[in-house]
Amino acid sequence: MKFVLPALGSVAAVALFAFSTTQQSAVAVERPAYDDTFEQLELFADVLARVRSQYVVDVDDSELIEDAMNGMLASLDPHSSYINAEAFRDMRMDTKGEYGGLGMEVTMEDGFVKVISPIDNTPAKEAGILAGDFITEIEGKSLLGATLSEAVGQMRGKPGEPINITIVREGEDPITLDITREVIKRQIVKFEDKDGIGYIRISQFNEKAANGLKDAIASLQQEYGGKIPGLVLDLRGNPGGLLTQSVQVSSVFLDGGEVVSTRGRRADDVNVYNGEKGQMAKGVPLVVLVDGASASASEIVAGAVQDRGRGILMGMTTFGKGSVQDVIPLRGGRDGALKITTQRYYTPQGRSIQGGGIAPDIAVSAIPDDGEERQRFSESSLPNAIANEDDEANLAEELTIDYPPEDFDVSDDYQLQKAIELLKSGTYAEKLAEVQG
Amino acid sequence: MHKALKGILLATCLALPLSATADDEKKPEAIYDQMEVFANVLSIVQENYVEEVDTASLIENALNGALSSLDPHSSYVPPVQFVEQRESARREYGGLGIEVVSEDGYVKVNHALEDGPAYEAGIRSGDLISAVDGVVIKDKSLDEAVSGMRGPEGEPVTVTVLSPGEIQRDVVVTRAIVRGRAVRHRVEQGVGYIQIETFTNDNLTRDTKRALADIERQLGGDIPALVIDLRGNRGGLLTESVSISGLFLDGGEVLSARGRDGSDHQRYNAERGELYPDMKIAVLMSPGSASAAEIVAGALQDRGRAIVVGRRSFGKGSVQSVIPLGQSEGALRLTTQKYYTPSGKSIQGRGILPDVLVAFVEDTGEIRSRFREDSLRNFLINPDETDYEEKYEDIIYPPEDHPDDEDFQLNKTIEILKTSQYQTILDAQDERF
Repeated sequence: MKFVLPALGSVAAVALFAFSTTQQSAVAVERPAYDDTFEQLELFADVLARVRSQYVVDVDDSELIEDAMNGMLASLDPHSSYINAEAFRDMRMDTKGEYGGLGMEVTMEDGFVKVISPIDNTPAKEAGILAGDFITEIEGKSLLGATLSEAVGQMRGKPGEPINITIVREGEDPITLDITREVIKRQIVKFEDKDGIGYIRISQFNEKAANGLKDAIASLQQEYGGKIPGLVLDLRGNPGGLLTQSVQVSSVFLDGGEVVSTRGRRADDVNVYNGEKGQMAKGVPLVVLVDGASASASEIVAGAVQDRGRGILMGMTTFGKGSVQDVIPLRGGRDGALKITTQRYYTPQGRSIQGGGIAPDIAVSAIPDDGEERQRFSESSLPNAIANEDDEANLAEELTIDYPPEDFDVSDDYQLQKAIELLKSGTYAEKLAEVQG
Repeated sequence: MHKALKGILLATCLALPLSATADDEKKPEAIYDQMEVFANVLSIVQENYVEEVDTASLIENALNGALSSLDPHSSYVPPVQFVEQRESARREYGGLGIEVVSEDGYVKVNHALEDGPAYEAGIRSGDLISAVDGVVIKDKSLDEAVSGMRGPEGEPVTVTVLSPGEIQRDVVVTRAIVRGRAVRHRVEQGVGYIQIETFTNDNLTRDTKRALADIERQLGGDIPALVIDLRGNRGGLLTESVSISGLFLDGGEVLSARGRDGSDHQRYNAERGELYPDMKIAVLMSPGSASAAEIVAGALQDRGRAIVVGRRSFGKGSVQSVIPLGQSEGALRLTTQKYYTPSGKSIQGRGILPDVLVAFVEDTGEIRSRFREDSLRNFLINPDETDYEEKYEDIIYPPEDHPDDEDFQLNKTIEILKTSQYQTILDAQDERF
């Protein structure tokens, strides 16, 4: 359906950063016959020529063009952007895990860099950075208006090099932190036994996610002498990653069949992704933990498990990123790359999660009820977010939320406790039938 | 942030449409190469984006991306807005007399002119407008929102207003030809006082002369001392700043503007003949005083004609040209020059440092950072590195028991004008320059 033209080089799309469910495909370039394109390009060239000749100081042409492309792509949606040659090289390096960084997933909000989640066992996590923090300054310089890739570029550097960042947390004075960069190794799948119930946490959907999960399942099976009595799959704070990995991860719990479908602009541009046969964790009672920071590939897994009735979703409503980006190298990456939203995806029952997210079957809050309606930071809070075509999907259902008691120690993980409680109570099957009902 | 930016952009219409000669001295191949990358990206987006895209709006966003990266005052003006701006320069439409900004999808009243019909109908700055004649304007562009408010003079408009802490209400406002009163004047403690709110008014100099004549009459034939209050004045027309300065100077330079190559060096001189040559003058400045306001303060200070009191000003020392682009393709607002006070200083990113630093609010134990040009991203850096910062210990603060409704800066200024301090400060200027 799609072709890789030689002009685009042989590098297919790679993506390994926050919020991108990226397809491993590149896109055909045909020059569309838009009548006014030529005129518009002429206008653009005219402005550039005037800037070069009349601006009050000398300007750098390539910076000017880069800012133009960023302005254009950022106007489309929050996930489309231009990646310059240098950033693209870095990005490819990321897939090898060979850079010094702080270890957090970030996005852009109100012109500032916002932390989606700090990654476990990284300098960011150890320094106490929390999901929702705004990074306002790096080395005393304001980040206001900087692009996400500029900000990320500044945070990266040689392992061992210190960096000074200022964070702003709602209702508190700005905090300045000195953090030492480290090689960020992503141990993305962790597992352990919790009171006789298997617990697996996937922190990101990179290439190692599905294999990591399979290894974890195998180890747990061995630990329990064959069959795992119950399993908690923790996708909280997981910002997503590769679409293909989310399909493979779902296959561990589903015996073939549809996991997700994607649709592009043209009616014929439909892809259905089916799970592999096999279902390694067949028959294991499953609770999937999600929260507002579970996005993209996480939502694909959660949506498939929910729609196919394979497990119970517990936690809070997910982020709501229901779009797929392609990363298209320009001139083999020498001109950088273009990341654009090309498709939306749909759960097996045809739901789009864009904007609305996936509501849990059992809503459980991580923090005690403080009486305030908490505003959820979600896809629809992002400027220029693509709207869901289905109006009803945006009508958030009123959830009955189970809050921990007021004096509950948040580090005791109320949501996980509830998940284990359910799996051990003997009422799992009953509950599963009920939420299906 | 956005509010302030918007205000500055509105205020900076310096009428200098340059003839557009785009003769490139740089290697043209480089830009063609870059253009190719851009054209490639555009066609990929047109072909593959998840939704239909509008090429014109993509280009508009691209232009804004490129231009806003240059400096905070350069931008692309799309065709519709450009036509509107030209109309608003003619000032022949009826309006409500409010300055609005967009905030979180709402249209917010930034300023309601006290002489305007909206103010009369009870609309105040800070109010949110959710609908005009029943048409909801929430999440509409500012242009769309404003176009509904404009129309023939004398026609009523129903505006749905949300005041902070109140229930939404409908207010009927009758459109009027709105022209902000640019000058207010009075006699204050025996001293003449004129307040200039904006330089975006081509009757400003005439009105100022009238104001001075009235003060003279009230004081019985002479004005011994005058306060020119430019606090919060965000600028406006360059020509008005030159003619206002000219009222108090006997010829000579008010400012000069220079572009990238020395050739487009322009010098603006005051007219010969000054009003009230023996009158003491103090100019009041605040961090919100920008552009044309800084030209006046800079000229009168550099030329030793006035003392400047208050806080360091905004620091916008650049001139924008509005360059029309072809037929109905909008215009380019581009920073083409920097301007310099008569002593050759650029106020870009620095502002005018008052002779006497006086604060409006009480001492909090530290110098509070204020929003100025140098707070803007990508502001043009001034190569001049001489010290221009305000020092905490140099600032005179109102005493703790100072009543809130008293204008400490003004009182302090009048006190200086009435004593020998004035001459001492004026003499000290010579040492500074």
